[in-house]
Amino acid sequence: MEDFETLLEGSAKAHGHLCAGQVVGVRMAMLGCDLIGLDNPSQLPQIKKLIVYVEIDRCATDAISYVTGVKLGRRSLKFVDNGIMAATFVNLESGIAYRIVSTESSRERIHEYAPEITDPRQQQVAAYKRMPDNVLFDIMPVQVDVPVHDMPGPTRFKVRCESCGIMVRDKKEVLLNGKVLCQSCAYGPYYQQLEANVQQKIA
Amino acid sequence: MCENSRNRQWNGGMNKIKVEEAIGTRLAHDITEVRPGEYKGASFRKGHKVEETDVCRLMRLGKRHLYVLDLNADQVHEDDAVVELASALAGPGVTFSGSPEEGKLQLRAAYTGLLKINVQALEDFNMIPDVMCASMHNNVPVTKGQIVAGTRAIPLVIQRSVLDQAVDLAREKAPIFSIKAYHRKKIRLIITGNEVYEGLIEDRFEAIVKEKLSAFGATLEETVILPDDVEVIADTVRRFAANDTDMIITTGGMSVDPDDVTRHGIRQAGADSLYYGAAVLPGAMFQIAYMGDLPIAGIPACGLHHKTTVFDLVLPRLLAGERLDDRDLAHFAVGGMCLECPVCRYPACSMGKAR
Repeated sequence: MEDFETLLEGSAKAHGHLCAGQVVGVRMAMLGCDLIGLDNPSQLPQIKKLIVYVEIDRCATDAISYVTGVKLGRRSLKFVDNGIMAATFVNLESGIAYRIVSTESSRERIHEYAPEITDPRQQQVAAYKRMPDNVLFDIMPVQVDVPVHDMPGPTRFKVRCESCGIMVRDKKEVLLNGKVLCQSCAYGPYYQQLEANVQQKIA
Repeated sequence: MCENSRNRQWNGGMNKIKVEEAIGTRLAHDITEVRPGEYKGASFRKGHKVEETDVCRLMRLGKRHLYVLDLNADQVHEDDAVVELASALAGPGVTFSGSPEEGKLQLRAAYTGLLKINVQALEDFNMIPDVMCASMHNNVPVTKGQIVAGTRAIPLVIQRSVLDQAVDLAREKAPIFSIKAYHRKKIRLIITGNEVYEGLIEDRFEAIVKEKLSAFGATLEETVILPDDVEVIADTVRRFAANDTDMIITTGGMSVDPDDVTRHGIRQAGADSLYYGAAVLPGAMFQIAYMGDLPIAGIPACGLHHKTTVFDLVLPRLLAGERLDDRDLAHFAVGGMCLECPVCRYPACSMGKAR
């Protein structure tokens, strides 16, 4: 794994800007990988050993993905929509896992770690670089039983929705009122289908 | 790598070698460590490459010999076999860990709902040698993530033909395990009884029903208190049926007194089928009726005085969309008697656990 500053520079470039979230994300990812015994997670063979659960879809998530190489499409990045600045790093081979949470108290101690900087954003970035891990993060060993339908690798399970006929993969179907249904048919879609005449206008 | 072929013993696809000669080899199975009251689990995982530093620890665990894998094409290791077994057993709403431990996998509910088991098929599955699967009871409510069954290949190495037989049976009879999500959410309640209607006594049913429904994510949309009047009850049932209702519950009026007319009102409302009497104590005077697909469940007075009654047995099944009839109510007989324990542990008891 490259050094912190190199990773931060690359992460900021990939994300689009350098921000406090990038610093937190890069540090969280480096610490997480270290705790679970991976020193080169984005390359084979370690790339197959890592799953990261992120609990927020903000800047830090991109940094974690950049540093570790985990991706949604590889099924190595899992998004748990908790709205918490936290991530859990799982070594699939050893079973060792750590959840790391960005502390709220660290936000209140920014002045302590970068008193010479007056610009609030720059002060936050600098302070987060300097804070020790135990100030910036709450770190806890955890156990994560990754279900088979969430594992990386080829599709193991697929079934056709008995209502709309679409193929549902990875056990995301629901048995509802005697029918195997996709989530949209079971509980309604997250979108509203347009009327045919409106569709034509857009086309 | 230390090898001494003279000390190796062949055993169904594995070589047995002395621990001190195993350095550099890979373990054929997880090695379990038990520290009473503290830890039980795999201290070494299958595939682990034995290091020099492991030898002492293995010997402390009481190991003097280890198995090293040497499978032929017709043999499957327990960890690989159990993934095939679990995949075939797990129907809609059932999943399992991606990492077998000690040759076992636990099937879990992927979402909250009613566990359904093809009991006969499960029994047939267990008649096949060298495989097993044990589970919770059929028709019990489960929550997301809850363990519902466990399966394993019994020997460390299983013959491919035997494994295929088990997998084929499970696929042919699929789903052996599935979870029905609850879909009846909008419930309306009719409380009958002149004594409650006239304010002589205070109703306690509404709070009880509301609490039991909320455990399954269903809500009480409307509650009415009616006199013991066939016409009034029938009119209300018809109004509820026409008013976006997934299920109607009635309380009271299920007994043998001349004023107990609730089921007559339900019949007059146009119920196309009505079953009265269940093989459950408490709950013998339970009734289930239907207007089309709309169930109308009648709770007798025991629902007020007992924590667990027939209503607790039928409610999750009705909310999961099942249509129960007199055969289902009779089927409760074995295990249908509450033991009236000093501290009720339902559902962790025999109540309602007919197969």
